[in-house]
Amino acid sequence: MTTSSPIDLIDLECRQIRKTFDRYFTAVDDVSFSIPRGSFFSILGPSGCGKTTLLRMLAGFEQPTSGEIFIKGKSVTRTPPNKRPVNMVFQHLALFPTMTVAENIAYGLRRRRVGKSEIADRVKSVLKRVGLPDSGYKKIDQLSGGQKQRIAIARCLVLNPDVLLLDEPLGALDLKLREHMKVELKQLQEEFGTTFVYITHDQSEALVMSDQVAVMNNGVFEQQGAPRDLYYQPQTAFVAGFVGESNRWLGKVTSTNHAGIELMTDSGLKLSGQFGAEQSLVVGDRVEVFVRPEAISLSRGGGDSKGQNRLRCDVGNVLFDGAKSQVLVVDPVTDGEITVSLPQTADFASLIRGEPLALAWTAEQTRCFRAEG
Amino acid sequence: MRTSGGFRLGLMLLLSPMLLWLLLLIILPHINMGIISLSERVSSNNYVFSLNNYEEFFAESLYWNTFLRTALMSILATILTLLIAFPVSYYIAKMLKGRSKGLVFALCLIPFWVSELVRTYGWMILLRESGVFSNFLQWLGLADGPVEFLYNDIAIMVGLVYTSMLFMVVPLVTTLDSLDNSYIEAGYDLGGNGFTVMREIVIPHATPGIVSGCIVVFMLTLGNYLTPALLGGKDSLWFTEQIFTQFITRFNWEQGSAFGILLLVLSSLIVWLGLKVTRQSFTRVMS
Amino acid sequence: MIPSIPQSRRFRITYNAYVVLFFLYLAAPLVVVGTFAFNDSLFPSLPWNGGTLDWFLGEQGPKLGLFHDEELLESVGISLVVATFTTVLALALACCNAFLFERESFPGKNLLYILMLMPLVIPGVILGVSILVFSSSIANWFELQLGWDLEFLLPGTTLVIIGQFAFISTICTLIVSARLRKFDQSLEEAALNLGASKLEAIYTVTLPYLKPALIGAGIVSFLMSFENFNTTLMLVGSDAPLTIAMFDRLREGATPVLNAVSLMLMLVSSVLAIISLIVQGSKR
Repeated sequence: MTTSSPIDLIDLECRQIRKTFDRYFTAVDDVSFSIPRGSFFSILGPSGCGKTTLLRMLAGFEQPTSGEIFIKGKSVTRTPPNKRPVNMVFQHLALFPTMTVAENIAYGLRRRRVGKSEIADRVKSVLKRVGLPDSGYKKIDQLSGGQKQRIAIARCLVLNPDVLLLDEPLGALDLKLREHMKVELKQLQEEFGTTFVYITHDQSEALVMSDQVAVMNNGVFEQQGAPRDLYYQPQTAFVAGFVGESNRWLGKVTSTNHAGIELMTDSGLKLSGQFGAEQSLVVGDRVEVFVRPEAISLSRGGGDSKGQNRLRCDVGNVLFDGAKSQVLVVDPVTDGEITVSLPQTADFASLIRGEPLALAWTAEQTRCFRAEG
Repeated sequence: MRTSGGFRLGLMLLLSPMLLWLLLLIILPHINMGIISLSERVSSNNYVFSLNNYEEFFAESLYWNTFLRTALMSILATILTLLIAFPVSYYIAKMLKGRSKGLVFALCLIPFWVSELVRTYGWMILLRESGVFSNFLQWLGLADGPVEFLYNDIAIMVGLVYTSMLFMVVPLVTTLDSLDNSYIEAGYDLGGNGFTVMREIVIPHATPGIVSGCIVVFMLTLGNYLTPALLGGKDSLWFTEQIFTQFITRFNWEQGSAFGILLLVLSSLIVWLGLKVTRQSFTRVMS
Repeated sequence: MIPSIPQSRRFRITYNAYVVLFFLYLAAPLVVVGTFAFNDSLFPSLPWNGGTLDWFLGEQGPKLGLFHDEELLESVGISLVVATFTTVLALALACCNAFLFERESFPGKNLLYILMLMPLVIPGVILGVSILVFSSSIANWFELQLGWDLEFLLPGTTLVIIGQFAFISTICTLIVSARLRKFDQSLEEAALNLGASKLEAIYTVTLPYLKPALIGAGIVSFLMSFENFNTTLMLVGSDAPLTIAMFDRLREGATPVLNAVSLMLMLVSSVLAIISLIVQGSKR
């Protein structure tokens, strides 16, 4: 038999995890998910969405109010943190300042009463694998931000945990280093083959590194899927707004047909769009509408753009940012602003304020969700 | 991650030494002292309730004169210490930088690692009739014979201010150091001068340090025994000496307890007043 | 009035002169005490009769040197015993208190914290007499009711240790708490996460972190105990610690042997001060 039963391929499973504080505040609300072996799983959400509480329950620092946590098929819900086969990279790394790098890495092995010579070997080998072979004798404060990061990960991986939890460890780094560490973390994960559970509020970190991303808001998972799906097929208004950049309008449905809906925004734009999820909308429903800046095509002087939605606007501000340059255009009828990605062609190199532009985008790229309240 | 039973046990283990210490060494002894101060010995091992000890205090002018004198001298010593310490603290915190700041600050602290007895002894050698100052004045020709600087109120004051200096300088330097230079620069930039910047920016910021320094200095001065006894001699008339006399020399513990309670009440009252006037909280000032 | 703001020359000179004068004021008594330890005279005063080491090494009166003065040496021994016990007790209590106030929450915590600070504002003499009276009351009660003779509750070395412990604990608590407050609790969680038990985590991670504060508090409490006078005076029995012995000698009329003792005290204090500064400095 070459195939094994599905349960063997699941490293971590949560069943209806709920956590309430002080009886009335629910931080995590009936969250269920399972993570296949060896994958990089991210939980993405704004601060206060409950992701840290969830991670702390996985590590054992918080006790779920109800629900069960399984690691490799065994329930660990009642297991104290020091007996769980998971390790955690803390937000501020929590490297012990009173110990050297090698002592930090050896800490968990010493707790397991591993023999001295074996500890030395394993520390040496893990240091090599994270690319810092000669740093064992160093003090923690002699390391750079990126090196600390790698040591914190090495300290966990040397114990061969079933699951590695990471609590926004890149948050404290500066932008350049963060970009670099994203790639490095992904590589480390592939090399070690350990299951990573990564929480972050930075969507780019989640999208770049993960196999699977769960978007969390108000204690629940809004959507779980591959990064590509989240970006192109958001299932809820929250995901559409939180992942990636969007132009957002509020409006009302004016007519529906089998392909989509017609709607009027509160500012007075007439648009045709599509349901975001498998929800049915009827005439008169309030909707939230999202259009990505890169979904809108621009043409100068009334060219032939394709798409059901067409607008004539004037150039407002050009926000130059290299390949990520955008132009803010103003719709003269409603006076509303729309952000559009600036195509990197010579045609648009010399836009001037007030110049008329034709905008066009398709109904498929106009995602509509029922508005709350 | 902790069961509530384990939590309680841990808390109890931490709480009990603290409570034992507080009850047996601080609270009960003072309550006991209060009770004894309100009793009078009729015969051996037979005591009755009485306000006699307090009446005695007000009846005997020596007692309450000494009490008042101690309080006033302590307040004066506190003010003098503040006035002398502030410019120096400001100099250390704001005029110096980096290594020299640390060095001068440490220099300032070193005398206070030495016993108060040794420091007072130093002042005795300086001030006494056959001492350094007296000889220096004679050498300069400013005095014909030996001059006695010791055993007067000024000598007491010099010693008290000296002994208290550390407890004023440390909180002052700490608070002044935490004031960012840019506030002072902004004060000047907006048209202030040395005086207004000092009054409206520096001193308000340093208030917690000033209050905490003053309280500690006042307390230490009021309760000081060594300095008045050695530098003031027989006539130093310091209230702690009265307490010592009642307890150790006359073995009149009831009277001594009453004096102790009075001194405690006085010091608490002035500390409380100081906190009220400057609107500071006790815990903040003390830690 | 900071270096970046120009001041008149006269102001600068006056200010600098004031600071120099201040340091002369600080140094003067210590310098004369130290200097007169080497004066070849029976009194610690001028005139200067030339240098001598008799006040350290002299073997017989009238110039009995410090190292042969049995009485003084014995009092140093008593002070050392008192200081050692006080320090150990105060540090142990300080650790408990620091964890209690920084980690636990319980009703009445703020009130308890204020009470914990009380010894700072109780004059030492009063703390001394209140403990004296209380312990004598207890001793009396035991003797009358049970016929027990609890000698350690009468004035003497034990009582001196108890009295000093009463207020030095507060100071140690403040030092240790301040350090514990800066401790990032996720370090302890990390230790648990790596497989340590709660006690192992405290022993391997938290205590090493507290070490500089513990050393600092230990030095401070040792010195405070060694040099304490006010509280000790009220509780002392027949065995006088060094400060009391010196005080008695001072009243009788001092000889430069006291200067010699003082100089030794200064040297020891400076060494301890420097150790403490180094420890404080290295913790950053």
